Amino acid sequence: MFEIITPLFLSLIVGGTFIGIIFGAIPGMTATMAVAVCLPLTYSLGLENGLALLLGLYVGGISGGLVPAILLGIPGTPSSITTTFDGYPLAQKGEGEKALRIGIVASFVGGLVSLFVLWLFAPTLADFAIKFSYVEKFLIIFFALTVMAALSSDMLIGIFSGVLGIFIALIGTYDISSGGNGKMRLIPPGTEYWLETGFSLLPVLIGLFGLAAILEQAELGVPRGFNKDEVKVGGKSTFSFSVFRGQIVNLVRSSGIGTFVGILPGVGGSAASILAYSNAKTFSRHPETFGKGEPAGIIASESGNNGLTGGALVPLLSLGIPGDSTTALLIGAFTLQGIQVGPLFIGNNPDTWNAMIFAMLIANIAMFVMMYVAIRYFALVVTIPKHILFPVILMMCVIGAYTINYGIMFDVWTLLIFGIGGWLFVKLRLEVAPFIIGFILGPSAEVYFVKSLESFGTLSIFFTKSWIAMVLWVLIIGSILGSVVLSRRAKGQPDGV
Amino acid sequence: MGNLTEVTIDFERSHLVFPTIIAVVLGLLGLAILIRDRRRIAGSGAYWRTTFAQMDRMRFFGTLGLTLAYFSLMVPVGDIWPNTGMGFLICSIPFVFLSGLLFMHDRTLRQIAPLAIVSVVAPTFVWWLFTYPFFLTLP
Repeated sequence: MFEIITPLFLSLIVGGTFIGIIFGAIPGMTATMAVAVCLPLTYSLGLENGLALLLGLYVGGISGGLVPAILLGIPGTPSSITTTFDGYPLAQKGEGEKALRIGIVASFVGGLVSLFVLWLFAPTLADFAIKFSYVEKFLIIFFALTVMAALSSDMLIGIFSGVLGIFIALIGTYDISSGGNGKMRLIPPGTEYWLETGFSLLPVLIGLFGLAAILEQAELGVPRGFNKDEVKVGGKSTFSFSVFRGQIVNLVRSSGIGTFVGILPGVGGSAASILAYSNAKTFSRHPETFGKGEPAGIIASESGNNGLTGGALVPLLSLGIPGDSTTALLIGAFTLQGIQVGPLFIGNNPDTWNAMIFAMLIANIAMFVMMYVAIRYFALVVTIPKHILFPVILMMCVIGAYTINYGIMFDVWTLLIFGIGGWLFVKLRLEVAPFIIGFILGPSAEVYFVKSLESFGTLSIFFTKSWIAMVLWVLIIGSILGSVVLSRRAKGQPDGV
Repeated sequence: MGNLTEVTIDFERSHLVFPTIIAVVLGLLGLAILIRDRRRIAGSGAYWRTTFAQMDRMRFFGTLGLTLAYFSLMVPVGDIWPNTGMGFLICSIPFVFLSGLLFMHDRTLRQIAPLAIVSVVAPTFVWWLFTYPFFLTLP
């Protein structure tokens, strides 16, 4: 374990966290984009060092979003949306620095709580999942897809997006190495040469989260950056830890909510922070102060969204199912090194597992120290001109797509196809997260489904194989019924938060 | 009842089983959306007209055009100097500069000079990084 912790390993975590904060702090750029852009840099770093960089980017990217949310009222990342509700009013009162520091401390606590949950539950869940046969594995994927679709803003659209992801993932050859017959399907005539192995995961992800985001910004005319005069950190009221007096329950509850939401597949940080914020408001003795500069609102939002970071890694490392879009990209880092994530991962790679936990811990500490000490300087990140950043990011997207399979130009075209596709997804109100999860899990779902039928010869096996299968069906039905109830309630209460 | 649930899969045709099921499910879901959102779909012409009317067409289509030209030219240019990554380097410099110019709001010398420097330094650094320390061949 200790031989992994080298000066390079530590520098990559700190450097990744630093770059992640910058990405998170610039509106229009996200933690996912940071990971997508930096993924090709992990080629020659090895798995542990590559993960150190990417996990630093992840923690930093989620945390950095609070800077513009508080100072400009614009969430740097979608997960910081509720931070604007109370952070921005505080900044307008000249208490920006205080609001920022509250957010930084809450982010730190959220990150640590979720890391503890990850450390505690992922190995247990993985040990349990090792016993799963193809039937249970298929049902787990089915459950993941129903949860993800159920928590989409529109369930029908969510399910459609997820199934569309599966469908597109099936394009190509039914892989012999997974037990398939090696025959091609769903390939338009004349494209067999390029689509023999289907669309590669990473160009798809980079297109959906890199190019599509820049196209959205281009559509809006690439909004002007902010100048230094607009960024007022303020110094009227200094931060003191006494602001957290009476907020311990809020901190722990919000961190727990964020972690739990992270564990659910395909549900992003915005859901974590919205749920944590609305709970804090419900349980507050002074709910009327929320939205007017209430520190408890910032605490709930930031501990909630950072709680996501460890939570989203639980299903990835124990079941091979990514918890959110950023952890979906981490699959790319494992793929690059030829390692498959799933129930056997932790047991077969204890050093990598320990290195990941350690990297997450250091990333959270680095984030806290850097942002707490140098928040006035990080605040200036929002002034970096986008006309310089975006072209460089586009170029890095090309590098990422081209080098993923050691130099295939079709992967670059895939990036363009899915970049335009990602922009169209937003316009057509389709859901990107279920699509991605469907795309990632589609080929495994196929193998588990077909092999189950080949082995047992009956559809009833999905209900009768074991008690685990029955429990999974209860969970599947519960998630569908729960989503129906939630959507009915949401229709009754248009102002959900 | 048992016979109803029994399934025999011919290995030679097993590659079509799951895609067929998924295609049917996708079709049914699409149909359900069409029926539920028929009014919204029928009125989508106006939605797209508004979208195109409100968008910054120059920057949006300019980005698409530049990206398309960038991707199309990289390989032919790279073929002039095979296995050197020159296609990437030579195409990236003007791409970064021109797209930066496209995204820029006030095109003054003070704004253009840093962009010009970045458009040379960034691609050159990335080209060097991938060609030498990483040993990955770019187009």
